[in-house]
Amino acid sequence: MLRTTVLAASLGLMGTFAHADTLTFYTAGPGGLADALAEAFQAETGITVNVFQGTTGQVMARLEAEEANPQADVVVSASWGSAVDMHERGLLMEYTSPHAVNVPDFLKYSHYVAQGISALAIAWNTQSGTPRPSEWTDLASEDYRDLVTMPDPAQSGSAFDLIAGLETAMGDEAWELLGALADNGMIVPGPNAAALNPVLQGAAAAVFGAVDYISYARTAAGETVEVIVPESGTVIAPRPMFILESTSNADAAKAFVDFVLSDAGQALVADTWMMPARADVEGLRPGINDLNVIDVDEDAVAARRDEIIARFHETVTNR
Amino acid sequence: MLRAQSLLTTLTAMALIILVGLPVLFILLQAVFPEFARGSFEGAFSKLVILTENDRLMMQARNTLLLAFSVMIGCLIFGLPIGILRGLFHVPGARVWDVVFLIPFLIPPFIAAIGWMMTLQPRGYLFHLVGFDMGRFLFSFMGVAFVMTLNLFPLVYFAVSRALEMVGGRFASAARVHGARPLQAFFLITLPLSIPAIAASLLIVFAMSIEEFGTPAALASRTGFEVLVTGIYTRLSDWPIDLSGAALGSVMLMAMVLAAFTLQNWIATRRSYISQTGKPADLEKADLARWRWPVLGLFALVALIGVVIPLAAIAVTSFMGTISGGLRWSNLDLRHYEPIFRSGSRAWQALMTSGWLAVLTAFATAAIGGLVAYIVVRGTGRGRAMMDGLSVLPNAIPAIVLAVGIILFWNSPYQPISLYGTAAILLIAYIGILLPYPIRYAVARLRQISASLDDAARVAGAGQLQALRHVTLPLMAPSLIAAMMLVFAIASRELVASIMLAPAGMRTVGTFVFAQFEQGSVQTGMAMSMIAITITSGILLAVNLWLARQGSSAFSG
Repeated sequence: MLRTTVLAASLGLMGTFAHADTLTFYTAGPGGLADALAEAFQAETGITVNVFQGTTGQVMARLEAEEANPQADVVVSASWGSAVDMHERGLLMEYTSPHAVNVPDFLKYSHYVAQGISALAIAWNTQSGTPRPSEWTDLASEDYRDLVTMPDPAQSGSAFDLIAGLETAMGDEAWELLGALADNGMIVPGPNAAALNPVLQGAAAAVFGAVDYISYARTAAGETVEVIVPESGTVIAPRPMFILESTSNADAAKAFVDFVLSDAGQALVADTWMMPARADVEGLRPGINDLNVIDVDEDAVAARRDEIIARFHETVTNR
Repeated sequence: MLRAQSLLTTLTAMALIILVGLPVLFILLQAVFPEFARGSFEGAFSKLVILTENDRLMMQARNTLLLAFSVMIGCLIFGLPIGILRGLFHVPGARVWDVVFLIPFLIPPFIAAIGWMMTLQPRGYLFHLVGFDMGRFLFSFMGVAFVMTLNLFPLVYFAVSRALEMVGGRFASAARVHGARPLQAFFLITLPLSIPAIAASLLIVFAMSIEEFGTPAALASRTGFEVLVTGIYTRLSDWPIDLSGAALGSVMLMAMVLAAFTLQNWIATRRSYISQTGKPADLEKADLARWRWPVLGLFALVALIGVVIPLAAIAVTSFMGTISGGLRWSNLDLRHYEPIFRSGSRAWQALMTSGWLAVLTAFATAAIGGLVAYIVVRGTGRGRAMMDGLSVLPNAIPAIVLAVGIILFWNSPYQPISLYGTAAILLIAYIGILLPYPIRYAVARLRQISASLDDAARVAGAGQLQALRHVTLPLMAPSLIAAMMLVFAIASRELVASIMLAPAGMRTVGTFVFAQFEQGSVQTGMAMSMIAITITSGILLAVNLWLARQGSSAFSG
């Protein structure tokens, strides 16, 4: 009898996830946004959304591991290049949402569209006793010896984009800067929050390449952290949203993309302190037009991903 | 009747093969055939060259062994002195110390490591309290070994104190009667006779440090110190993934753990040591006399470092409004607990999911483990021999290796029924990982139950299954229940397999906490950990009290 109970319970557990009217959504952080979008979408359409939320590295790794047996329907990554790459391999479904009209042209393509946009910045602890930095290069100075962290570009899609952007703007000087930061004791503790946490406690003073919305949110939560966007320029990390060609639930997937780009969906995006993808939706913080954005050739960068990560390891982590 | 038994044997063997055997087979195949996951057998052995080249895998293997040896030494330093004292002397509050030194088992290693980070890093709690930090020490090889030692030293403490209690009393008194001085008796009789038990516990420490994921995951990236477990994880969770490298690393990991367990098994069963058959008579322990206070001081120091500091760091962090607010009364805040208790919140769901999974795992492992033990101890013929071999297998498989095997097996193109991507896959993984506990407990218990009780029931007219149900099973129940509780405690916070296998939409306590540190709020992660630690210690304490009334201890197995 005991075993019957166990069997019945496990079948019940499985049943929850085998329901027909469900959509599987893989997304890079923040976790709160994924959950909020899933709940609001379910309230509107009755379709259950199963969320897997991880770093861009984890999301892409899962997609690759499941290639023979794909699970996801809709994906949001934090690295534009990953969408370019997957489209070239023929894994994406073409779809243009009606709401995409209001998304600026450089943030959409026939097969993918931005969900929201983050910018890369310096996150500085105002209580750290260090002078307020204003430029990327400031952090390589003696004032910040052993006090700088950086997210790992292998795990954080946006940190990767920053390196690519700085390389575009500064050429080889970007690598010299990273080398100088490493000489200055910069540590690379993991993905974005792992880089920010030591700065919150004061173990470090500043994050080189913090994802701005995460830091804005922590400031709003009362942490003594200031987001500083260098005037020399920064990169933005638009977060591509796409439908997998392998989806068995294309209608629901399209409805979900429409919902994310709707007024309600974009308001939820804005609530996380990201810049909404649609130009006609107001963000809580400075928008693209207030930033000096470095233009990056995403296609070229996506193709060089392995090389850039390897050079980063060589220059910074594995010296 | 015989058919019933052989049917049972076949079913149990099939369960073991599906749960553990096939995943391991798929890892071996993937290690040999790089294209195996895509359904091709081309390029056999072509990936093995990375073992001879200067690859990170070899460095990780070296680091793994180095770390495991250091943790063994660390556990000797922390566990041996207090273990000897506890075994040979009247230490005031001995039972209380036993409970205190159980606590490190209950703190998830990943959380303990984060707690130490918040304490020792520059501007950490230590700095706030006394004005200096130990960041350089923590973020080093020594630091990783230190934190892992604190998770594992109780194994040595309990093994040493139990062994000395058994040996020390009778044999040492016999030596004393024959004129040996106390120190002579200790070094010539008690210590040599206890060495097997100490060595066996050290080998378990060795095996557990090899497969530990949480501590290296939290500290390794800061120290640039990679071990096989974190290497396998990175190969599978960072894009582009490397299945063959992960499989090769898994094979190496498996070989190390298998070697440790084989050696441990050999030492433990080589001869019948008195400590295992003799009755623990009421022993005359020596009085500490004027050493009373120094000894208590030593116990308190070990408890402070091993238990109080990590626990306090976790608790303090969970109650902090903001991290940058630091250790101030005005920064005291309960708000990070609020979402966990809000019914229907993601945190609440994670708690419920882990609860259900842990309960199901406990029942399933007890059922399978009980059957395995019954066949190993009471079975006959080929069935018994096969089961004896199969039952060792789960012991030798680290959680991360089983997770890799489960991905390869259940998500392979050959698989007609894919459970991958469902909650069932997590249940399957948990059962495979935790099976060793019920098997070990049930085998030990069954060996103490005389088979003549069975025979008596048979003579009285009961069938074999009836005898099993009405005689053997009730007698096995206490040990199975103890194993189930332990399984529940570990399953409810399992981390590495959950991260790798949890399907979309499903969160467990482990993945929830891990995600909080990666992307969310440290305080929420710590609040969740506090709740999980409280629940599991409550359950283990209750069971231990219950078993104490039955006259045995949950941790003597």
